[in-house]
Amino acid sequence: MKIKEANAGALTNFEVLDFLRSRGASKDPTRVIVSIAPSEFKVYDYLMESPACNQTKEQVSEFLTRCESYKLAKAEVLNIINLRPSQLVEIVPIIEESEKRFGEKLEELVNLVVEVLPEPPKKAVPEEEKEVEEDTADGKNTDEDKTETTNPEQIDEDQTEENEDGEQMETP
Amino acid sequence: MFYLSLIEHTLRLPPHLLHLPLDEALKTELKTLFIDKVIANLGLCISVYDIRSIKGGFVFPGDGASTYTVEFRLIVFRPFIGEIIVAKVKESDANGLRLSLGFFDDIYVPVDQLPIPSRFEVLPNMRNRGRWIWDYGGEQSDEQDFLIEETNPIKFQVQNVIYPSIPLEQPENTKPFAPMVITGTVNNDGLGPVSWWEEAEIIEDKS
Repeated sequence: MKIKEANAGALTNFEVLDFLRSRGASKDPTRVIVSIAPSEFKVYDYLMESPACNQTKEQVSEFLTRCESYKLAKAEVLNIINLRPSQLVEIVPIIEESEKRFGEKLEELVNLVVEVLPEPPKKAVPEEEKEVEEDTADGKNTDEDKTETTNPEQIDEDQTEENEDGEQMETP
Repeated sequence: MFYLSLIEHTLRLPPHLLHLPLDEALKTELKTLFIDKVIANLGLCISVYDIRSIKGGFVFPGDGASTYTVEFRLIVFRPFIGEIIVAKVKESDANGLRLSLGFFDDIYVPVDQLPIPSRFEVLPNMRNRGRWIWDYGGEQSDEQDFLIEETNPIKFQVQNVIYPSIPLEQPENTKPFAPMVITGTVNNDGLGPVSWWEEAEIIEDKS
């Protein structure tokens, strides 16, 4: 076995979750049918509990373009997208020398994160969690651009959450 | 946390998979070989992302199966130093904490990386296990008792990732061999159980 490139690209949690979803992973108990290994399911379960479960491609690319002005290192951007810090104190360990580089602007960065990336669902009983997830996703989607339903990539993949959002947005 | 790695590997395709289209058969074989295994200095392989190229297909004399040289990409879990990850507490004993991510369990936070000062309180009825309590500030006593309990998710920062080499012999009672060990720290602003930082305003003023 030869390792040709140990690092052919970093992936955010969201991208890995998206990949697993496109292979057919989901939260319901009928897991034996899809071709996903049990260890992959463990990764899927972990990622569903992280802030990545609510994110969409558009939100992640929007965040990437908007944070260019802050000149963050790639690792810092990755950390921010994966963790979705909502307070100043959460973003301090992520960014090195935050005082020197940012000072006041750190608050702006936190506000940008809160604005662009959706809030992760609150930890609750597993059944309730799924409902809360869909509710917050709906709430955020009506605020964001409505291009989500017309995005061809999203429609091709069998993502039940996206389809449900699409149906609900057309009715009002 | 996750990286894509480009790997080239020569593998033998067992004949019972020949009814599948070639790339699917190779993917199945690659999955059995790589998923949930640790490659030294690369990380824990999570999934086969895609197959880039397939070469070969030769049948070696005396062998019933064909051999292919495949170039493919794997999703590997390899946290970088300084990355902040949310995990759950798996065990907590006098040497420190052990955290788990569900798919990966060998994350240790040794005693010196816990917030200083902390004290260890042994649970009744359990000899080695207990919980850690952060003694924050001298003024408040019982209200601001910061516990590290087993139910809360906890944020830690990666200090080091080591890949110990496979031991030749292992004495019977030690823990099973861990091919990849992550050492973390919780001794910083914003790290530790997520519930500690939810009332962040109060703590920020004092620190």
